[in-house]
Parts: sequence; C-alpha cells; structure tokens
Amino acid sequence: MGRDLALLTPEIAVLLTAVGALIAEMLRRPRISLALAAAGLLVATSLTVPLLGTDTTVFGGSFRIDALSIWAKLILLPATVLSLLLARNDIGGTVREGTVYSLICLATFGALVLAGAGDVMFLVLGMLLTSLATFALVAYPDDDPATEAAMKFFVFGSVAGAVMIFGLSYWFGATGSTLLTDLARTDAMPLAAILGLVAVVVGLGYKASLVPFHFWAPDAYEGAPLSIAAYLSVVPKVGSLFALTQVVRDLPVDSGWPAVMAGLAVLSMTYGYLAALVQDNVIRLLAYSSIAQSGYFLLGIVAVGSSELALPSIILFAAAYAAMNLGAFAVASATGRTLEEFSGLGRARVLTGIAMVIFLLSLVGIPPLSGFVGKFLLFAAAIDVQFTWLAVVAIINSVLSLAVYLRIVMPMYRPAETTTVAPATWPGVVVMITFAATLIIGLAAQFFLAGR
Amino acid sequence: MLPLVSITLFLPLVGAVLILCLPRPTARTVHGIGIGTAVLTLAGALAMWLEGVSSAGFSQVEELEWIPAIGAAYRVGVDGISLPLVLLSAVMFLVAFIFTSSLRERPRAYVVLVLLLETTAIGTFTALDGILFYVFFEVSLVSMYFMIAGWGHEERQRAALMFFLYTLLGSLPLLLAILGLYLGSPELSFDMRAWIANPPLEGAAAMWALIAMLITFAVKIPAVPLHTWLPAAHVQAPTVGSVILAGIMLKFGTYGLVRFALQMTPGAFREAGIVVLIFGVVSALYGAFAALAQTDLKRLVAYTSINHMGYVIVGVSVAALTLDPSVRTVALDGAVLQMFSHGLVTGALFFLVGMIQERAHSREMGEFGGLLKTVPLIGWSFILAAFASLGLPGLAHFPAEFQIFLGTLGSVPAAVVVVLGIAIIAGTFLKAIRETFLGEPRQRWHAMPDLSKRELLAVAPLLVLTVATGVAPSWVLDVIHRTTSSLVL
Repeated sequence: MGRDLALLTPEIAVLLTAVGALIAEMLRRPRISLALAAAGLLVATSLTVPLLGTDTTVFGGSFRIDALSIWAKLILLPATVLSLLLARNDIGGTVREGTVYSLICLATFGALVLAGAGDVMFLVLGMLLTSLATFALVAYPDDDPATEAAMKFFVFGSVAGAVMIFGLSYWFGATGSTLLTDLARTDAMPLAAILGLVAVVVGLGYKASLVPFHFWAPDAYEGAPLSIAAYLSVVPKVGSLFALTQVVRDLPVDSGWPAVMAGLAVLSMTYGYLAALVQDNVIRLLAYSSIAQSGYFLLGIVAVGSSELALPSIILFAAAYAAMNLGAFAVASATGRTLEEFSGLGRARVLTGIAMVIFLLSLVGIPPLSGFVGKFLLFAAAIDVQFTWLAVVAIINSVLSLAVYLRIVMPMYRPAETTTVAPATWPGVVVMITFAATLIIGLAAQFFLAGR
Repeated sequence: MLPLVSITLFLPLVGAVLILCLPRPTARTVHGIGIGTAVLTLAGALAMWLEGVSSAGFSQVEELEWIPAIGAAYRVGVDGISLPLVLLSAVMFLVAFIFTSSLRERPRAYVVLVLLLETTAIGTFTALDGILFYVFFEVSLVSMYFMIAGWGHEERQRAALMFFLYTLLGSLPLLLAILGLYLGSPELSFDMRAWIANPPLEGAAAMWALIAMLITFAVKIPAVPLHTWLPAAHVQAPTVGSVILAGIMLKFGTYGLVRFALQMTPGAFREAGIVVLIFGVVSALYGAFAALAQTDLKRLVAYTSINHMGYVIVGVSVAALTLDPSVRTVALDGAVLQMFSHGLVTGALFFLVGMIQERAHSREMGEFGGLLKTVPLIGWSFILAAFASLGLPGLAHFPAEFQIFLGTLGSVPAAVVVVLGIAIIAGTFLKAIRETFLGEPRQRWHAMPDLSKRELLAVAPLLVLTVATGVAPSWVLDVIHRTTSSLVL
C-alpha cells in the first residue's frame, strides 16, 4: 500500500492542489487560488519526472504507472497550467474566479485517471470526474450562449456516459472481472466483447470528440470562455485518447477493433477538415480542426500492440498537439474570434503572427515542426501494421488541412485595416511558451522516444 | 577539419536569424546582410567544390545523432550529382540577392524568406537522411508560398494557394515512400546511403514506392500532365521567386528522380523505365509546343522549362533502362549537366523578362518591338540566353542535351524523336526575339532605361557561366562523371 501511494504522489498532489485552490477561493483570494493551482501542478509535474521509465501497476493492477500515464502527466499538467494562465485573462475579476481554477485542476485529475486506467471502474471514474468539472466550466459565464453550450455538452455527456456504463457491464459479465488485462478472456464471447467495445468507443469518443460523437464540440467551444475551449481541446481529449489506448492494448486483435478505429479515424479526419473549411469563426474552425486531429491519434491507436512505434508516436503527437493547439487558442485569445479580426495581424504584431503561422503549419504537419514529427511517426505506425491505406487517407487529409489553416493565415498578411490593441500579458506568455515547445518538441523527439 | 557542408548549409539561416534579431533595420542593412551571407555561402560552396568528391559513394560526410530511437540522424554530404547543384544554388541565390537589393516593400521579411529558401535548397541537395531530406524539401514550399503570396502580381493569393496545395499534395507520396524504405530497411534506419547501397524494397513494394516517388517528383519537375501549377505560379511570382523556382526548385524533382527513384528502387525503375521515358518525351515535346503558342514572355520561358526538364527525365530513364554502363554514364552525365545548365540559363531569362516587365509593366511580346535599339544590353543578353536555351553549340545546354541524345540513341533509339523539341524551341525563341527586340522601335518605349549596374551584376555572372559551361563543360562534367561512372545499379 505504501509503495502504491508513493507511485501516486503526482496524482495526490493534483488532488490536493484542487482542494487548495478551492479553499483559497472560499477565503476570496482568487489570485492566491491561481498561484496555488499553478504551483501545485508544476510540483506534481516535477514529482512525475523521477517515475520516467517505470512500468508497473498499483491497486491490484487497476491503475497503471506506465509510459502512457507518466507522459500524460508530463504533457497535461503543464498544458493545464497554460490553460490556467489563459483563464486568468478570460475570467479574471469575475465573482467566482477561483472555482474555475479548482475545477480545471479536478478535470485534469480526471484526465490523468483516464490515462492510467487499468480497470473499467477507473474509466468510469475518470470520465465522470472530467465531465462534471467541464460541464460547470463551460457554463461558467452564465450567459445565453454558454448556458446553451453547457446544456448540449451535458445532455450528450450524460447519454454517452450512460451508454458506456451499460456496455461495460457486458465486459464484466463476460470476464467476471473489471480489470482490462482480463479482456483477453472475451475471446469466447465475441458479442459481449463487441458491445463493450462499442460502449467504450461511445464514451471515450465523446470525450475525445471523434466523429460521430463530436456534435457538442463546436458549440461548446464557441459558447465557453476561450480558455476553457482551449483546455477542452487538449486535456480531456488527450486523457481519453490515452484511455482508449490503454483499453485496446488488452483487447484481442481478432475482435476487429483496429478496423473500427481506422473507420473512426477516416470519419474524424475527413469530416473535421471538411467542416472546418466553411467556418468563419476561428474558434469553430479550431474546434473542427481538433476533431480532425483526434482522428490522427487513432492512426497510432490502430497499431497498438502490433507495432513498436505505436505508443511513442501517440505520446509524441500528444505533446506536439498540446503545444500547437494551445498556442493557436492563445493567439485567438489575444486577437479575436472571427477571421476578420485576424486581418493584418501578421503585419501589426510580427512575432505573434510568426507564432500563429508556426502553430498552424505544425497542425498541418509541415516539417521540421513538432506536428510533423508526430504525424510522421503515426503514419509509420499505421504502415507498420499494414494500414497503408489509412496513412494515404491521412495524407490526403493533411492537404485538405492546409487549405483549412491557410484560411487563417491569408487575412493575417493583408494590409492592416485597424490598429490592433496591445495584447494582454498572459496570452502573450502562453504564446511564447507554446511557440518554443512547438519548435523544440520536433527536434528533441529523441527525448520522448528514449524509453524504448 | 571544418564541417564545410554544415557551415554552407546553415549560413543563410544564421543570416536570417540575424536580420530578425535586429531592431528596425533599414532596407540597406537588410539587403547588405542578405548579399553578405550569400557571398559567404558561395565561398563555402566553392570550398566544397575545391575539396571535391571521391569516385565511390559520398564525400565530405558529416553526421550527428538526432533521433537514434528511430534511426534518424543529421547526415549531410555530397557526391558528383549533388555538388554541382549546391554550387548552382549558391550562385543563383547570390545573384538573386543582388537583383532584389532595390526592393523597398517590406525588405526584411523578403530577405529572410529568401535566406530560408537558400538553406532549404542546399539542404535538399546535401541531405543524406530520409527525414532530413523531406524536411528541407517541404520547408522550401513554405517560403515560396509566402514569397508568391506577399510579393507576387495581381492574382497572387490564388496562385500561391494553388502552388502550396498542389505541391504539398505532390510531396506527401514521397513521405509514404520514405516510410516504406524505412520499414523495409533491415536495421530500421533513415540513412540514405544504406538505402542506396542495399535497396531495401523489392517486388510490388518497390514498385509502389517508385510510383509514389514518381508522383512527387513529376509534380516538382514538373512533368506533363502534372505541370499545371507551374505557369500559374511563375506568372504571379515576383522575378526572384521565378528565378529560384525555375533555377533551383525544379531541380529538387530531377535530383530526387536520380537520388531516390533511380538509386533506391533501381529494379522497379528498370521495369517501369519505358513508361517514365514516354512521360519524359511527352513533357519535352508538350513543353516545346506550349511555349511556341505563348505570347506572354514569362509563360514562354516557364514552358521551355518543362521542355528542358523533359530531357532530364529522358536521360534518367534511359540510364535506368540501359544495361550498358557506358551508355548509362553518358545519359546521366547529360541529365545532371542539364540541371546545372538549365539553372543558369533559365535564371538569366527570368531576370531579363522581369526587367522588361518592371520597365514596361507588360510581358506581351506583341506590345514590344525594336527593343534591341532602345535597350541593347538587355536585348543582347536575352538573345545570348535564348540561344543557350535553344541548345546552340558553345553554350551551356548543348553538351548536356547532346549527351542525353547520345545515350538515348545508344539504348532506346525510337525516343530520339524528342530532338524535335529543339527545333520547336528554336522557333519559339526566334519568334520571341523577332517580335520583342527586332524591327522598328516603338515610340512609347523610347525612354526605357538599359541595364543598371545592379541588374548587370545579377545577369552577367549567369551569362559568363553559361558560356564557360558551353565552351569547356569539363570543369563541371569531371565532377559529375566521377560519380556517374562508378554508379552501380
């Protein structure tokens, strides 16, 4: 037990941080709440570093301390801190500011639980934790768009959650165990295995906004404060995609799950980019883009268990995605929500302009940026398990994505019509940090792969 | 030992960073740094040239660990095929910076983009690692996109978007081929030298990889029917953009054709060689006929590029098809020299057309006439470059095309119909010269100024090298020959 708790210190630190931030809010000290949350999450990050290379489980195999869950902490905790800084810019000075910081920490805790899940109960727990916290976050502004967004998000979430729990009961019935490692036993009962898989795909697919479970995402992103949209597009999404990876690791390949994942990947990439192509609202555009990017993760998930490249590619792409997507949202947070507001940005604020171009090109997958290295490895993983056609589809979608992202770039270099106001401090800081990360993650890819 | 290749490769990037770091530099400083960096880069390329290449494999190789977990490393080096192209790039970029030094519209961003382009060009030719090659190959698109979109002519946004989408769609199949080669290589490595020494794929896999590569390089070269982006991009691109696009970036395609398609999937290339050869012949002839039909000078030069690159495809596919090593050497010598010559000659032609356009704001040959009397220097330079382009003996294209045709005769004699292209290109240029430069000078162009000192400095080196390559091709050919004569396929 003592050993188990020692391995869980980062998670415990995150939980304590959430509680601390809440206490500071109760004392009406929102700034302290923010500082506490940021510091606590950074401490949790540094507590994770010594665990690198560990591959074990705790609590009787129900929670995993492996590459996925460790990297989830190293990627998602800093990403959460950056979201906190963006949130300060959005909702700073509002009545219940501190609750937002506390809820963000709780949602991150849920995402970490998902990423390390070794047991279906942890899947359910992580799912509920992130969902409940993020419903409240989306509804926070208390105006019509936010309420509508939260309502859609909530209805979708409850149904998806219920379907997931219902379906998981089949797995339990078939194997007599809630451990994921016992899923191999479902061999004898293919129907139960499939029902369970469908349920997990519905639940996690909803969190990760995979097509066709994505309908809530554009509305929720648009209605929520920008920082919350940025947060939703990274932390819960990566957490649930990692959870999906944990699940399929133990599923027998002949149950046909790789084909299911490949189908979802094609749908998500293609639909996401096609829909993004017609958006005039940058936030909706980025929402659809993040739907499509989830599809790319699935290229790696398809190869889980059969290719050595699968896990490193998923982890590396998650890090790249967190950096570039948060960066793009941070620029939007400093600029505006419509394409018109981006007009002349590149000429008025040269550095922000360059950073935005880098984020968007990295999302396309142009080398040598981090998005390229991530996608490159994902393609390699898919080809390695004979899913070459899927890599071809992904590549065609990358071209489509260029057309999508250039829609933001093109107005940026028009002669400036309006003088843009000086950007707020925090988004600027976030832009600089994510900019550096987007450049470095690609070049320092070895760091992410060293564990192999 | 100085790491000459890496220094030459990254000098332009250092120059670009330097310009970005300066707070509010004047246009003079920016152009000064641009030219200075390009001079140093040329010095680096010359030092590499003096260092030379050995007859087997790659020389001046520099290696650094990058992502050992997947067998990717920073590996650069040159052989007789890439070294002339490195020198060509260094020369072309220097004259491009000289030509562009009068630019006053956002010069800082412009010079940074061109410097970035220079690093990617030299990087593409020197990379010996699959990923590294792809990185440089792709980044060049980004700089070129912003150059066309930011400084092009009327329809630039559309042309830039089309260029970027088209060539990105074109280059992604190469990524698949690289992944295929990687997963097929025994020790899972991206080392291009290993891929060349022991081609990792065979059978159907090799054929698919070859098809993917051919799509990529056919878009880049460009070969008919994947050439449609080229005239549009050229017409809208600024002069320097056109010069670099035609002079350097088209060679990415032909260089890749030799380095990847020919050297890494030789068996598949031999099987499919006849198809590639037909595409080459069609490209050369189509380019020539299309050029003949143009009245816009810039489009005309753009189409002659398709013709000249068609000869390169013919040369490379002949080298793949033939079983006789001496014929292969002749054909490859010709193909590589053709890349070098085409850079010089087409660069000069695009500069001259650009100068006429800057003065007259028109490129329609019908609107000119008698320019030889008003602007004799531009006129004679154009005539010299045009004669070189139509393959006159004593000028750069002649020794190259001669060897390609010689190789063709030695292996697939029927393909020699491609020689027709020369006659058509001759007709094209003679028509262009007659309409633009001969006849009675028109009143409205009387005040047209001749070459300024800056423009002379940009064009003269290219013309001198054109003559030098034509009269005594051995100074380049010896380097090329050293590698092509020992090539084992």
